[in-house]
Amino acid sequence: MATPLPLSGVRVVDLSWIIAGPTCTRVLADFGAQVIKVESQQVRDTIRNSAPFADGQQGINRSGFFNNVNRGKLGVALNLGHPKGLDLLRRLIAISDVLVENFSSRILEDRWGLTYETLRELRPDIIYCSLSGFGHSGPFRDATTWGPTAQAVSGLTLMSGLPGQEPAGWGFSYMDNTAGYQGAIAVLAALHYRRRTGKGQWIDLSQSEGGIAMTGTAILDYTVNGRSFRRAGNPPGNHADNPKIAPHNTYRCAGEVVIADGRKDGRWCAIACFSEQQWQALCRVAGRDDLARDPRFATNAARLQNQDALDAAIEQWTRQHDPYRAMETLQRAGVPAGVVQNAEDKVERDAQLRDRGFFLEAEHQEVGKRLFEGISVRLTKTPGRIWRGAPLLGGDTDFVLREVLGLSDAEMEQLAEEEVTAT
Amino acid sequence: MSASQPPPPLALDDLVVLDLTDEKGQYMGKLMGDLGATVIKVEPPGGDPARRIGPFAGDVEAPERSLYWWHYNTSKLGVTLDITKSEGQALLKRLVARADVVLESFQPGYLDGLGLGYEALSASNPRLIMTSLTAYGQTGPYKDHLTSDLIALAMGGPMASSGYSDEEVPGAPPIRGTGNQGYHTGSHWGLIGTLVALAHRDATGEGQHVDASLHEALACTTEAATPHYFYLKRAPMRQTGRHHAQTVTPRTQWPSRDGRYVCAFNVPRNVACWNSLTEWMAEHGMGEELREDPKYRQAFLTGARATPEIDAVWRGMGELISKLTAEEAYQGAQRRGYPWGAVRSPDENVRDPHFQERGFFVEVEHPELGRRYTYPNAPAVMHGTRYGIRHRAPLTGEHNEQVFSKLLGLTVQEMTHLRQQRVI
Repeated sequence: MATPLPLSGVRVVDLSWIIAGPTCTRVLADFGAQVIKVESQQVRDTIRNSAPFADGQQGINRSGFFNNVNRGKLGVALNLGHPKGLDLLRRLIAISDVLVENFSSRILEDRWGLTYETLRELRPDIIYCSLSGFGHSGPFRDATTWGPTAQAVSGLTLMSGLPGQEPAGWGFSYMDNTAGYQGAIAVLAALHYRRRTGKGQWIDLSQSEGGIAMTGTAILDYTVNGRSFRRAGNPPGNHADNPKIAPHNTYRCAGEVVIADGRKDGRWCAIACFSEQQWQALCRVAGRDDLARDPRFATNAARLQNQDALDAAIEQWTRQHDPYRAMETLQRAGVPAGVVQNAEDKVERDAQLRDRGFFLEAEHQEVGKRLFEGISVRLTKTPGRIWRGAPLLGGDTDFVLREVLGLSDAEMEQLAEEEVTAT
Repeated sequence: MSASQPPPPLALDDLVVLDLTDEKGQYMGKLMGDLGATVIKVEPPGGDPARRIGPFAGDVEAPERSLYWWHYNTSKLGVTLDITKSEGQALLKRLVARADVVLESFQPGYLDGLGLGYEALSASNPRLIMTSLTAYGQTGPYKDHLTSDLIALAMGGPMASSGYSDEEVPGAPPIRGTGNQGYHTGSHWGLIGTLVALAHRDATGEGQHVDASLHEALACTTEAATPHYFYLKRAPMRQTGRHHAQTVTPRTQWPSRDGRYVCAFNVPRNVACWNSLTEWMAEHGMGEELREDPKYRQAFLTGARATPEIDAVWRGMGELISKLTAEEAYQGAQRRGYPWGAVRSPDENVRDPHFQERGFFVEVEHPELGRRYTYPNAPAVMHGTRYGIRHRAPLTGEHNEQVFSKLLGLTVQEMTHLRQQRVI
């Protein structure tokens, strides 16, 4: 028997696009909420046009990027420029629990006259979650932003890099993933409150504030100690931030791996020693008891002082080994270590993800059976599921309008004729 | 605000949470506390090891001065309890009987060994939700592997996407962003699991064990990298200050006049933006060639990628930024509708009028120091229930009296005995 779905009975109108909002609703869909993604034939989620495409063929239903983040949602296409299309959206909102959108502030109101107040008239206990770059109030509310904007302004970009080099930043929109999680947490908390009290609410998530919330102790170090993160020696690369320990770095290993564009990437193993015991175990497995006795490395303070020499000595050993072999050897000796894994490593070489069946297969209506990132937390009694890939553009319009809104054949024909549901 | 006004409602104020986590998971409990739950942080006698993590207030290393502790334990109560002693275990079980949620982050099997695993704790409280946030999860060949924030970000995949273009910093390693992002992401997923389990419990009365891991949390936090491999069988390459990609893409990070950087990308490819960009260049005596030869305008408007013309446009943009401070470029771009951002240090936001007006930075009382300090608040404003710091992190054992005598009803004699035995 199938396990119960913990969010069954929760209906979500999803007007969100790109990654942040769709990540939030992906969490809800994976655990059983009915997520209705509303687009139109003319105005679609632009990630539908983003590579990679299935079998190298472009198409609005063929983006693997879109498929991964929108699996398990229903797809409705409505012409929202038509009064009847807008009316159908309002009727969907009236029977839904949650509305998620990630437009810039004011777009929902300017385009469709939807504000929290008007949403409440449609559905008094609605939970409305807006995810935007700067939130819906304040002088920068109308700023145009993407994930990298929020990362730059919040400080996350500056906090990633080698000392003395320009910032490396994040190689992807970390704050899109993260704002999706932060939004899902707020929506889930609001749902609990609503179950207790019957009251909905508006959640105004600002991606740049969400980014500042991710900067760890950097703000307190400034407000308490007057010390800016922008100072010599920062960012610390892969050296320890806090606690200050050494060794703590990524070390080049033997071998290479082929990546994009036929390039070769190096192999690396991350190592972090939190105690003298771990440091001595590292020296032992590396066959370098001389390092353990070397006064330059005798204490953590000394190792921090002589970090370049320390790293070079460790790398002499790691360079002789495959990164997985280095990791296994160190872990067996009780030393924290891990391979710098790319996407291929996770899918093909990661024994843990394989054993736990992390990557899941599901069927997409146009591109067939595909792999998906799994559900990143295991609920032992209600694990959730990926029942299907992402929706085709408007692929579930018929189902949603008939089965969810209860429209008749005659009404459906009329809508098609007036180009509300199709063009 | 008038004195008679009721305090704002809190989303989770019906919940009691026992927080047994180390630095991996303390953010989960902080967020639950900031959402209104009564979160009791259980520390070993003498204080939690996270109190030894810096930076420290005034750079004085002391358990009550760790800013790491302050930041990740707001809105919690604090008790000390030695759960390795049988009397401590008995006391923990009495707390669990009154709790809705237990958060823990020990190595898998550790609590089972103490008779405090999910099976044991849920036997007397079937409504209990127990969330275990570990490195790799409760099962599998790596379950006993040791981790750290760096190692989690390495194994999970974010690092492979982040760093420098090979052409620009040859041989540079993949880079992890600092600020404890591995622990944050693990905590986000641990909390998602906890709140989903709460939905199931609200519906059925049934609790459950939630198995969260840094590894699986980060394994899906790499945006397009996994779809790249699923569909193209090639992991993307790292590039300096911009997205991972299948082929080299133009630079988007440019140095400004004041020695800072600007993230300058995705200028909308329309006439208005072409005009505003080239006029902005003209204001600084630049871009004459771009304005005069229509091939540049055409490349811009047709969305050209990787042609000599569009590369010249981007170089011109970089040159423009080199004449401006990072803030001028940021504010000027936003006025023109481009999604650029100044690469700021986190602290450079504290006095930003936008964040000020939204009240994102809040003052938190530290009565023991007679001071208030400015903290960053919650990532979202919840208009129906307050989401934010309610009070500072607890001092070591600050709420022993309140929790053990008032909540559990221990007598003065019992308390004295437990103190003498160093259980609390």
